Amino acid sequence: MPKLTKEQLDNLMKSSQKKKNQWIKVGMSTCGIAAGADKALKVLKEEVKKRGLDVAVEQCGCAGKCFAEPLVEVAIEGMPQVTYGKVDEETAHAIIDKHVCGKRLINDHIFNVKAD
Amino acid sequence: MGFKYKKIVLLKDTDMDKGTKEFYKIFLEALRAKNLQEEVQVVRAADIGIYKKGIVIKILPDNLIYTNLKKENIEDIIEKTIKKNKLIKELLFENEDKQLRIVLRNCGVIDPENINDYIASEGYQGLKKVLFKYNPEKVVDELKLSGLRGRGGGGFPTWMKWNFAKGVEADQKYIICNADEGDPGAYMDRSVLEGDPHSVIEGMIIAGFTIGANEGYLYIRAEYPLAIERIKIALEQAREYGLLGKKILGSGFDFDLEIRLGAGAFVCGEETALIASIEGKRGCPVPRPPYPSIKGLWGKPTVINNVETLANIPVIFNKGGKWFSGIGTENAKGTKVFALTGKVKNSSLIEVPMGITIREIVFDIGGGVIDDREIKAVQTGGPSGGVIPADYLDTKVDYENLTKLGSIMGSGGMIVMDDTDCMVDIAQFYMGFCVDESCGKCSPCRIGTYQMLGYLKKITEGKATEEDIQKLERICFATQKASLCGLGQTAPNPILSTLRYFRDEYLEHVNDKKCRAGKCIDLIQYKIDQDKCKRCSICARNCPVNAISGDFKEGLVIDQAKCIKCGKCFEVCKFNAIKRG
Repeated sequence: MPKLTKEQLDNLMKSSQKKKNQWIKVGMSTCGIAAGADKALKVLKEEVKKRGLDVAVEQCGCAGKCFAEPLVEVAIEGMPQVTYGKVDEETAHAIIDKHVCGKRLINDHIFNVKAD
Repeated sequence: MGFKYKKIVLLKDTDMDKGTKEFYKIFLEALRAKNLQEEVQVVRAADIGIYKKGIVIKILPDNLIYTNLKKENIEDIIEKTIKKNKLIKELLFENEDKQLRIVLRNCGVIDPENINDYIASEGYQGLKKVLFKYNPEKVVDELKLSGLRGRGGGGFPTWMKWNFAKGVEADQKYIICNADEGDPGAYMDRSVLEGDPHSVIEGMIIAGFTIGANEGYLYIRAEYPLAIERIKIALEQAREYGLLGKKILGSGFDFDLEIRLGAGAFVCGEETALIASIEGKRGCPVPRPPYPSIKGLWGKPTVINNVETLANIPVIFNKGGKWFSGIGTENAKGTKVFALTGKVKNSSLIEVPMGITIREIVFDIGGGVIDDREIKAVQTGGPSGGVIPADYLDTKVDYENLTKLGSIMGSGGMIVMDDTDCMVDIAQFYMGFCVDESCGKCSPCRIGTYQMLGYLKKITEGKATEEDIQKLERICFATQKASLCGLGQTAPNPILSTLRYFRDEYLEHVNDKKCRAGKCIDLIQYKIDQDKCKRCSICARNCPVNAISGDFKEGLVIDQAKCIKCGKCFEVCKFNAIKRG
């Protein structure tokens, strides 16, 4: 990668801002991993690949809700942007089955909904 | 985006957890009766961000919140709000988000291992502005305007530190990031390093440009392997993009960073000890002045800033010092990150504007005390801080207010304590920590902390007299005055502040040989109240040392010689038949 000039920095900023519409982010800081975020991430990645879904599965840092780790934020078209907490492998499967494919929110795991 | 459902209703009983399911069922039935189940989705939320407001619903996409709902309201909600988009004013609740994320702006949002994510969220824009539009004087002026003060605990104005180092003529200067976070229960810096490493790096480059340093060090404790890994990745990516190295972004400024690992000594968070540690010496503090900004690493002018302070810098220069100074109070600008832990329902990492009250933090953000017990105190500042009793929960958080109360802002640990926490025991815990972590260089700290711990132990064992409390206080004052560095000078704070607000508890330990919280095991005894005992023997089955004998016929008794006072029987008894006294 060549060294950036200030103009290239701005261009990179603009081009990187065009994000995918559908994504899942898993909080992968020490706190999240200790609570099992890596397992949830693995399930989510595998399921998305297996079903050929157009959803980007990414990692991110800690969103601060320690009491609800592991945290998974989901943005899917036609659905509100939701943060699920206490996501074990079973819930990770449910996120793909119910939320991503079935477009239904999952009971008892919602810890935040982003207002539009 | 358009919703698949016309409405989504999130539902939560904020008073008790079991109530949610019942209300959910009734709501679902009501929708079905009106044949709306395909248009409206009802979902049980685990947390809705509102506490002690009965049954709460949030209706999307309108983002309406109704609180304190009764079954009788359902009909109205469906007919008016869901069908006709009409507000029901009596139920409406205006919720305001008490948090404001500046330092944590990217944590949990961007991928920390991808520099493009950081750049997309306006990363390195502050640096660009500084390199091409500012000179060092202008940077200092802007920082002064922002009012930013050190977030490591001391609260020293950041612009002053930078200005001192800038003013000294030297062939080499250094920037150090202090990431040797050591307070028990504090993890603010770790989260920033793991979630947004580039913001710290950008802050350090700006600091380097300002004081005229070309080299910097990130001093990270070795106990944070993931933080170290993410910083390493971030440094490599920044170098690839030319954001570190020669001629940054095509300007004439060179700067690079290296990582140094701390070996786990608490004292290395003190700046002179930290410098000694980087130099390869034993991590012991040296007297100040000269301050590091004049004579620091290898005798050269050095600015040492904490992780959180540095993470503020990019935003200040991107959005302007004036914008930053509009947040917070008169003397404390911006926000503070706290690691809210202890007996609080929602342990969390929060960022709040300065000037918020402790009550708002604990009850509105933290959701209150676990099991709704009574809050006794809040501890801030770790082993250098003190306790703030429940009477002062409405204190506005800033540096001066917390110091006035005998505690400190500290680096951001905030531990909630309830009536089962013994204040003498708390003081003893922190003093034990200080004894372990005292470097031993100066005798007031080395001997003082040890002696103080001895007296606290005597008190918790019920062997002390009132005179011992006076002696303890005298050692506290001596250690405060005579210690070389901050560790020793502040080590007595947990004792002094608990004595200030909870002297009666100390006296109870000494005179009545009683620990009201039931924490000091030498002062408590468990007995079975034979009148209340139903002889179910659940206590005997749960006792880890088989100290409870007897059966349904004879009744049960605790053998005091065998009992280790773990309190298991007390917890498991369903009839309150175990007495602690």
